[in-house]
Amino acid sequence: MIGLRHITVRFGKREILNDISADIAGGRITAVMGPNGCGKTTLLRCVGGLMQPTGGDVLIDDNPVGSYSARALAQKVAFVRQQAQTDLDFSAFEIVLMGRNPYQKRLQNESKADWDIVEQCMRQTNTWHLRFAKPNQMSGGELQRVMIARALAQQTPVLLMDEPVSNLDIAHQLEIMRLLRNAKEKTILIVIHDLNLALQFCDDLMLFHGGSLLYQGPIAGGLTPENIREVYGVPSHAAEGRIIYDY
Amino acid sequence: MVKERKPGRANLWVLLALTLLLAAAMAVCSLFGAVDFEWDEIRDSQIFWQLRVPRVVMSVLVGAVLSVCGAAYQSIFRNPLTDPYVLGVSSGASLGAAVAILLGWGAIQWGVSGLALATALLTVLLIYKIASIGNRMHTTTLLLTGVCFTLLISAVISFLMVLNHEKMDDIIFWTMGSFDPSRISWEDVWVMLPVAVVGIGVVLWYSRDLNLLLAGSEEARSMGCEVEKVKRVLLLFTTLMVAFAVSSCGVIGFVGLIVPHAVRLVVGADNRRVVPYSLLCGAIFVLVCDTLARTVLRPGELPVGSLTSIIGAPLFIYLLYKSKKSY
Repeated sequence: MIGLRHITVRFGKREILNDISADIAGGRITAVMGPNGCGKTTLLRCVGGLMQPTGGDVLIDDNPVGSYSARALAQKVAFVRQQAQTDLDFSAFEIVLMGRNPYQKRLQNESKADWDIVEQCMRQTNTWHLRFAKPNQMSGGELQRVMIARALAQQTPVLLMDEPVSNLDIAHQLEIMRLLRNAKEKTILIVIHDLNLALQFCDDLMLFHGGSLLYQGPIAGGLTPENIREVYGVPSHAAEGRIIYDY
Repeated sequence: MVKERKPGRANLWVLLALTLLLAAAMAVCSLFGAVDFEWDEIRDSQIFWQLRVPRVVMSVLVGAVLSVCGAAYQSIFRNPLTDPYVLGVSSGASLGAAVAILLGWGAIQWGVSGLALATALLTVLLIYKIASIGNRMHTTTLLLTGVCFTLLISAVISFLMVLNHEKMDDIIFWTMGSFDPSRISWEDVWVMLPVAVVGIGVVLWYSRDLNLLLAGSEEARSMGCEVEKVKRVLLLFTTLMVAFAVSSCGVIGFVGLIVPHAVRLVVGADNRRVVPYSLLCGAIFVLVCDTLARTVLRPGELPVGSLTSIIGAPLFIYLLYKSKKSY
């Protein structure tokens, strides 16, 4: 589904990602983890076509990301960013409706089908009651869920999420993670910091350390006390399938 | 207050009503000016057909163009306080026009508007370069850059005027803005019309992309908008329109700020509605302002630019105040 071929990203002299190669299987949730500043967001931006890696190629369905038009790519990949813009003067419904843009012709109004998809995505993310609210009238968590609804409305096989649950309370965190779990056909790359939440809901893990890929594979095999100590410098042990920090 | 509004394109009935209103306003406003006409005497009147009508048509075109450009700039720069005047693009165009006049290019076809376009484009590019930090436009930097450009350019123009007394009148005309009938003929209208039609058409064509741009460049890109291409095309065509408007009637301020803003307060932020409604409302607004400019101090004339500001600014403040209360 997604292939990373020797991805290297440099900003000036600083190396953010160093020769990352991996294949990400379709239909699975992959947790992208690692300490702050280790290149997780940069990787997602490369996959989403928002930036060009300094070297290497990102393949989506065996074609380089750069070979897709913006419109074609937006039908393949949706992106939920870390911080949503709060000063937008559109209602939540209009914002989610923007997610239908890659399927619409110019000067054409949204169809009934578009409206139904938007309603369905907003109900899934528990935002339907907010449909007339503007971003500045919503809480951070509500706005985040609206942005997730918009990404779902794009109906893409690939979903990239940069810390989508970091701003949410535990109930909404679980709700969003369960929603992703239920989207079985989607390939999801999610940057997430909560080790136990990742362990509970994700299939695979890409663990980054200093711009390199330390581990890729099933998540249970990756979140070992050794790896956690090496990457985060935090001692821990596993108990009943959960990670307990020894602090 | 959360109001329900059906998202989507502009309502055809509203567009039709506004078009009829514009046509009626054009018919009525043509009758008033330095000379007032009666319906039965206009048929054979040279003054009416050669001076009054082109002036009325030009004011409609310029009003439409400035309002549409304002709406487009506000989305491209993601800032509700931008318009061709505030950004200094109009001033940039007036500098080109002034230099062209001094160089004696007035007689050359496209001489004045060509140089106005060049300096206006240069201004846009410089402002864009200076005010963009990463992929965000910084509001304060953007507005201050615009103000500085306007001040710098008006200083340069004053300097040029002092050096060239004999051409002072011509240059003042560009900096104050007016639909002076001795300068606006049918030829000017025939130049402005295709520019306005094509330019406004381009903005309408990209009106949904303008919505996406409001959400930010990266967001727009991940929702399938070719951000760089769209921005380049829109900046080129809007600047083209502003340059032609400025070379035919000078700098008329605040139209591009007030009209889209007022429209937005009524119909919401969706550019598929804001652009066409602004086009018609802006045309009516400038038409009425110019009619007042040539009638209130008869036989003298007010610069229409000062009138658009006098009418527009309080209205703008009132609308802003009203929208604040509704939260």
